[in-house]
Amino acid sequence: MSTKKILIIDDDEHLLLGLAAKLKANGYAVVSAMDGVAAMAVARQELPDLILLDLGLPAGDGFLILERLKAMTDLMSTPVIVLSARDPVNNKERALRAGAIAYFQKPPDNREFLAAIRHALGEEVAMSQFLKT
Amino acid sequence: MIPQELEQIDVMEPVPLEEEASSVIGRVANGIAKVDLSRRERAELLDVKAWGPMLETYGRTMKVAVALTGAEGNLLGRCHNAQPVWTLIHSTIVDRGTCPFCLSPPSPCTAVADALRTGIPTIVRDSAGLTHVAVPLSLGNHRLGAIIAGQVSNQYPESLFLQRAAKKFGVSAQLLWNLSNKQRPVSCAALQLAGDLLCTLGQAFLRQRYSAILEAHVAETNLRFRMLVEGVTDYALFTADHLGRVTSWNSGAERMLGYPEAQIVGQEFSRMFTVEDVHNDAPGRQLRKASQEGRSEDEGWRVREDRTQFWANVIITPLPEEADSHRGFALVMQNVTDRRKTAIELEAVRQERTSLQEQFLSHVSHELRTPLTALYFFITNLLEGVVGDLTSKQREHLEFSLENVKQLKDMVGDLLDVSRIETLKLTVDPRRTSVPSLIAEVLRTCRANAELKNISLLSDIAECLPAAWADRARVRQVLINLIENGIRFTPTNGAITVQGRIFAEDSGFLCLSVTDTGCGMSQESCLMVFDRLAQVKVLTEASRKGLGLGLFISKELVSQQGGRIWVESQVGSGSSFYFTLPVFSLAKLCAPILTQANLAAGCVTLLSIDVPAIDGAIQTQDPTMIRKVLERCILAGQDLLLPSMSDTETTEAFFIVACTGASGAEAIARRLRGELNNSTHKLAISATTLQLSANGQRWEERITEIATHIDKLIQTHLLERSISLEY
Repeated sequence: MSTKKILIIDDDEHLLLGLAAKLKANGYAVVSAMDGVAAMAVARQELPDLILLDLGLPAGDGFLILERLKAMTDLMSTPVIVLSARDPVNNKERALRAGAIAYFQKPPDNREFLAAIRHALGEEVAMSQFLKT
Repeated sequence: MIPQELEQIDVMEPVPLEEEASSVIGRVANGIAKVDLSRRERAELLDVKAWGPMLETYGRTMKVAVALTGAEGNLLGRCHNAQPVWTLIHSTIVDRGTCPFCLSPPSPCTAVADALRTGIPTIVRDSAGLTHVAVPLSLGNHRLGAIIAGQVSNQYPESLFLQRAAKKFGVSAQLLWNLSNKQRPVSCAALQLAGDLLCTLGQAFLRQRYSAILEAHVAETNLRFRMLVEGVTDYALFTADHLGRVTSWNSGAERMLGYPEAQIVGQEFSRMFTVEDVHNDAPGRQLRKASQEGRSEDEGWRVREDRTQFWANVIITPLPEEADSHRGFALVMQNVTDRRKTAIELEAVRQERTSLQEQFLSHVSHELRTPLTALYFFITNLLEGVVGDLTSKQREHLEFSLENVKQLKDMVGDLLDVSRIETLKLTVDPRRTSVPSLIAEVLRTCRANAELKNISLLSDIAECLPAAWADRARVRQVLINLIENGIRFTPTNGAITVQGRIFAEDSGFLCLSVTDTGCGMSQESCLMVFDRLAQVKVLTEASRKGLGLGLFISKELVSQQGGRIWVESQVGSGSSFYFTLPVFSLAKLCAPILTQANLAAGCVTLLSIDVPAIDGAIQTQDPTMIRKVLERCILAGQDLLLPSMSDTETTEAFFIVACTGASGAEAIARRLRGELNNSTHKLAISATTLQLSANGQRWEERITEIATHIDKLIQTHLLERSISLEY
């Protein structure tokens, strides 16, 4: 099975560094972008298998990026998981409605977060783990 | 010859009337039971000017003298139709007693006193042989005075008696003789009848006087009230008939609404409403509400004669019912436009402040979360060996760091919750929640921390505990908060017990408790711990750890779910925190739909929708999302989307109790398909239905049937789920 590629879109440099290390340690390839413009460019160029999206971003709100991703034929079916510091009460439903498959508030529980990533990437074995958490 | 016995009637004795006559008079006198009279009213009742003509007529008709007296027997006004013999003798008497008629001083005449005491006419005869009758004038319990009538003898006097009398009173015997023979005698019986008539007349006249006084009072009160109403210019005061047509209008109303009285009286009061309100029957509704509830109060726009509008507060009360007419209404209207404006401005300020506070807390929470996340990733990466192996000392230090990060994360969460509480945005989403599994899960979460202090975590749950109607995540939060507190305040080797019971005081609730063997607290502290930022001074360093918001949030969370929270504790002997949650009741949920009438009509259907059976391109498995889609497909108030019936959200199946027949269930399915096709969720549904009808079965049996059916479906569904996971 080829290495799955994950795009992290977040404007916090340290968070990117920490999360990328974690994902790489879990066997994924990681690309990243720190603002909306870069995010679209990297997404189009890299065609990732999964996108982890922050909502508060410079040059393009996360919802805007989500909307654009869903409008692009080669990216519309790429699963998006939102990882944001924002209150899920106001944002979770909106994100899911806009096409995200899951919403995690920062900081997420590592186990749940990784299970959701595996599930999103269609790694069926991980599904039972996801359900048990 | 003068009869000896007449000489002896110097001592006057009352001569009561015959019984039958007295009872008639008694009734008349007692016609008014209880009356309050002022001194002025008493004087008005016996106003001699008013009585004069009646007494004059009576005296002339009956050919007797007549006069009005006070309660003491004193003459009021003058003596009408004085008799000649009496006039002759009376003019010679120097020392007159109180009784205006008696010609026998100085013995006091008690006729008036006796009549007032006994309530019946009393006849007396004086030493000149003249008789008079006193009739009482009383109103209720008030003895007001009397009327005396007489100055007559019961026969033509004999000459010897006349000579003696002339000598005694120093008048001319000839003159006395002449006058005596001119004056027709009146028998005692005739005088009694005259007294009877006078009593009736007197009481009737008295009552008529009393009515006149009352009427004058009412008229005066009305006049004053009208002046008052007219004088009120800050309020519009008016009345309307049962159809809402204006019947009276004060100057305040004219000032406020612009209509002069002549123009508005007879017009419908609905013309003061806006077109929309009239269209919505607001005027009629308000009158009906006032009729039914005895009062209606409303605030809204009202329209002046010049079509300008103002914000009014209007109170409508029905007027007392009158015999042959419909009830009208009294309306009090106040222009509260300024007050409303102030309230709106205040509300805007409050909202702005709330919004700023919310923004601030949200900003703080947001800004703390991102670095916290980076920290969390770095620490967990190190612990997971992502950047190489660790020494045991390094690992230990990193584990402490991780612990602190988690604490920080909880604090940030608490800050956000407090912000939600204060902006009234804290919401709970109650579901059918199994308490034993929840407690087990919470204990697993807290075990690691407890083990650090070698504290044993125990659970004690009643068998067959019914499910709660609660928000699982929020109850979890409360339990974790209570247990973490317990761990903090319990010394090493202690124990914490979580109990779940039916609430002893009300079987409609479950009672959960967390009991520790910690340091306990005073009664005073017990009352304070749930306050915001409560700092319990008596506690150790440990109490200063954290923000002190946990119990405040727990209290809000519990009360939002319909329960209450409290603590029982004593210093040195541990604490027990208790909270209650409503028991889940399918019957209560279904009650509005599962009515006898609906069941009898055979139109209740249980529709079950299986989420894992939803196939196609699933873009979300979030039950909350699917629930929202389903909510849009039912008719509120008619159909019911039941809450989650299974214990874990990921295995949710949905149930709708539809107040429609089988065709209605199809309609819901159609709406659902339409809704799903229009949305980004390309879902297909499979549904099973259970038709419910009355069939002579009891209501409880229908509920049991629904519950059994649901349980069966959930179990089948869980079974399928576990199979698909295993293989």
